[in-house]
Amino acid sequence: MDFTLSAHQEAVLDAVGTLLSRHAGPARLHGLGGDEPGYDHDLDKRLAEAGFLDIAEPGSICRLDAALVLEAIAGSLASSAAGWRLLVIPTLGIDVDGPVAVVPEGHSGPARFAADADTLVVIGDDHVRLVRPDRGAARIRSRLGWPVGDLYGLPAGGVIHDAPVSEVRSWARVAVATEMVGAMQFALDITVQHVSDRRQFDRAIGSFQAVQHGLAECAVAVEGAHWLALEAAFTGAAGTAAAALTQASEASKLIFRRTHQYHGAMGFTREYDLHLATVRLLALRSEAESLGRPAAACAREHWGI
Amino acid sequence: MEFDWTDEDLSYRSELQDFLAEELPGRWEGATAVLGSADNAEYSRRFAGLLAEKGWLTPHWPTEWGGTGATPWMLAVLGEELWSRGEPRGPQYMNVNWIGPSIMAHGTVDQCQRYLPAIAAGDVIWCQGFSEPEAGTDLASLQTRAVRDGDDYVVNGSKIWTSYGDIADHCYLLVRTDPQAERHRGISVLLMAMDSPGLVVRPIPGMVGEHSFTELFLTDVRIPVANRLGPENEGWSVVREALSFERVGAPRWARAAHVLDETVRGALEQGRSIDPMAVEAVGLAKSACEAARVLCYRVIDERARDVPPSPHANVARVAMVKAERLVADACAAIEGNEIMRYGSDSDLQMRKSLAAGVAAGTYEVQLNLVSRRHLRLPKS
Repeated sequence: MDFTLSAHQEAVLDAVGTLLSRHAGPARLHGLGGDEPGYDHDLDKRLAEAGFLDIAEPGSICRLDAALVLEAIAGSLASSAAGWRLLVIPTLGIDVDGPVAVVPEGHSGPARFAADADTLVVIGDDHVRLVRPDRGAARIRSRLGWPVGDLYGLPAGGVIHDAPVSEVRSWARVAVATEMVGAMQFALDITVQHVSDRRQFDRAIGSFQAVQHGLAECAVAVEGAHWLALEAAFTGAAGTAAAALTQASEASKLIFRRTHQYHGAMGFTREYDLHLATVRLLALRSEAESLGRPAAACAREHWGI
Repeated sequence: MEFDWTDEDLSYRSELQDFLAEELPGRWEGATAVLGSADNAEYSRRFAGLLAEKGWLTPHWPTEWGGTGATPWMLAVLGEELWSRGEPRGPQYMNVNWIGPSIMAHGTVDQCQRYLPAIAAGDVIWCQGFSEPEAGTDLASLQTRAVRDGDDYVVNGSKIWTSYGDIADHCYLLVRTDPQAERHRGISVLLMAMDSPGLVVRPIPGMVGEHSFTELFLTDVRIPVANRLGPENEGWSVVREALSFERVGAPRWARAAHVLDETVRGALEQGRSIDPMAVEAVGLAKSACEAARVLCYRVIDERARDVPPSPHANVARVAMVKAERLVADACAAIEGNEIMRYGSDSDLQMRKSLAAGVAAGTYEVQLNLVSRRHLRLPKS
């Protein structure tokens, strides 16, 4: 075990960090529409050209580097389906270009990236389908920080024979957990900064123990989800993936409530960045649920119940 | 970054599991009873002796004091396997985890020779004389007074919540040697024999089920100056360092995860159905144990790389408390009315989870440390 980055991992994160600092971040998201953004095709193109979207080695069960890159992308609030590209697509043994959406079989209604996706991955109980729709689903108005399309009646066909269904679902869990961690860390960081700067009653509000304890619990929750997601990406173990998503999902509830609470009214203005990260968590949590309730999945993976 | 065990660690775990399967099938029954009892103390002595023979009682110690030069990872494996079986070393885990290392770090040659071989052989029990009636979480306000008189200190005062005080041979005792000094400055550590004249031990029955507490009353107890650990009045830094070993030295998550596993398997074997709400509680508890595990591993990784103690230990400790509490909820959800049966898994876990947020530094103090040292929030 080694919890420090290797020289290679550091170099990769430095490089993607530089790219994201120029082409992603809250200002970029505001430019794309803020909490109802368009899809960032330009960012995807840059990530692809630099090789970041193909970083998972084909055939390897270890996708730790891909998860590290995804966490950085999610932390920069990118309007991109990089999560599905980085962690789910490599399980299918196929190459895809362009945005991807992942939905459960029979899904009907809003889905992230559905209006922009060139590829639709449909996960059933015993099969996986790959559908390339002629045209995207209708874009709908959503204010949860992602481009959203309304899927109504999934196209038929495209069954991938011998697809490892449970592995696909498991990697989808790791992807959502990792994206949640990135957004949660963003929200936590700006909240820590805010409560350190903001003074009331002649003292920083972050010096009040009620606030400190609330944020300390948030930090512990995010740390747990962060390391579990990375471990799951390293081992590919279904039990760890489900545990990571359960912890990320639980942590996201704390983060949503508490980071807004400690910001006061400023936290629910659209010009301030906090909501860009927090509302995304709601969409991610709904996707987590659509993969099967995380805690129940965790119990099932460990005991078959 | 990688999350694989080395082949060496894997084979160590497997050897250990084989040994435990023979010596201790299932969970140690003593763990369900009152640990302070003479029977359990005797069992722990015998078991620790067996571990010592295999070189597994103090594997992480330097070879000159009976260690085998094992890595922090091997020590973690040992802790996990033993805690998941109810910690059959009983009070001896304290000796080997932090009392022994503290004596090694600060003791004289004579103290090391006097105390360490007995700990390494597994035939001695220590207790810790820390808390007092007016000094609990605020430990530095302790008032038990030690006054120099020739070659001895004369000690007066009382200690409370002392686990194993009624069966221990020695006590790692915190006393105030300079009442005029700033409160962190006037404290010293004394190594006290528990048969010292003037020491009275009174048991306090506990509802936690893990063990009973004791209260120590010290009236003109004479402790040789030669039994002081570290410099006079600098005991606070000695004990702080010692407790940094303690923070994640007890992998309580491993025991909680094992109890959860046994409770679920027990229900399945008896053909009892587990309703969807209980399944959710079980999954949540399991994921919390997993989070605590990986956060503890991060601390062990730091120790393996010789990094100074960091707030990651406090983060891990908070996660362990949460995991223990969620396992208690999950066991109760699975077992239903069985919680009314004394000694059922849900009954025991409820009791143990109560202690989780208090022992070795309260949950709230850990949160203070996380906010100050990890998040770097402004001081109150």
